[in-house]
Amino acid sequence: MNEELTKIEQIIINPKAIKKSDVQDLMKTFFAKLKNRIENYVGDYPTFIEPVYLEDNVKIGDDVLLGPNVYVGINSEIRDYVEISNTIIFDNVKVGKNFKLENCIVAKNSSFNFTDLNIKNNLLMGVANLKTELENYGL
Amino acid sequence: MSNKEKKEFSRIKEVESTNLARDEIRDEVIETKKAVEKENDQLASRVHQNFLDNNIKSFDIVGAIGSGKTALLERIAEKLSPKFRMLVICGDITTRVDADRIEKHNTETIQINTGRECALNAYHIHQIIKNKDLQNYDIIFIENVGNLICPSEFILGTDKRITVVSITEGEWVIEKHPMLFKMSDIAVINKIDLKERLGTNIEKMIADAKRFNPKIEVITTSAKTGENIDNLLKLLGF
Repeated sequence: MNEELTKIEQIIINPKAIKKSDVQDLMKTFFAKLKNRIENYVGDYPTFIEPVYLEDNVKIGDDVLLGPNVYVGINSEIRDYVEISNTIIFDNVKVGKNFKLENCIVAKNSSFNFTDLNIKNNLLMGVANLKTELENYGL
Repeated sequence: MSNKEKKEFSRIKEVESTNLARDEIRDEVIETKKAVEKENDQLASRVHQNFLDNNIKSFDIVGAIGSGKTALLERIAEKLSPKFRMLVICGDITTRVDADRIEKHNTETIQINTGRECALNAYHIHQIIKNKDLQNYDIIFIENVGNLICPSEFILGTDKRITVVSITEGEWVIEKHPMLFKMSDIAVINKIDLKERLGTNIEKMIADAKRFNPKIEVITTSAKTGENIDNLLKLLGF
């Protein structure tokens, strides 16, 4: 599992040079191996459709649906009314409220501080306080 | 709509009673509830078509906590998994206990932890099967969250719905929960091995189920001893 994650992390350093099929293959392999780890988040009771893997100290808001095929990195925060599937969220990320992510990758240390986003097949990165500031690349 | 209203609105989507909505937004709440029900039904139709296109026989099993849904599925998996490729989707608020039990019988399982949602809905099933190659399965069972009330609001797109009650819940359990029996194809009255000890009026239970739904097939079983499991399988078409 870590092998694919590391490779994906390397590839997205240079988002404009991403070969989409490589990333998609890696994501597919990663999710096929992904096991459930949902015992240790901070939050209420989200809906989980396995497999969902949460690293330590993940915060989850209310009315959240995670899965299937979701990885969330350490110290990341998923705010209220978020739905995420087939997506990798790296470390120290803040997502939400009312985001719907499908087939996405969110780069580490990203922070999205606006509400209402519905996006598929994209790499998201950086800090954005408004939707117009969002940095994203098609996958 | 203000942000405060939006938040109240989205909360009330899941609330059972429109009586809780303030007068000003009552109409919108009613329209939203209707829209959500309709969307679930439409999605359930698509899920069902997906199953049919892949020649999959599908069943969802509902019943109160402890009625014996998982135990029955263990028996069913034991008998069917040597001959058929099975997938069982389990719904529970938390834990993977049921999926772990069923998996031991050579069956693939997927657990959904529904958190604050009190029942599975068609969207959950749609999200799972989207990622699966349905050509790999002959039979899909869905074990719903232990609850005799909320599942009646959400059809899941299966061929048949099976409602399980056990005689330990008492003979009034069916009369007190008519909705599920009206929409079910099969009623299973489980834990029949305890009949003598409890003296439950099983005839009343059978009569109640048939009164609410004259087409329902009723069967008594004991998942513990295996009594009538073969007949249950016949009712399912195996």
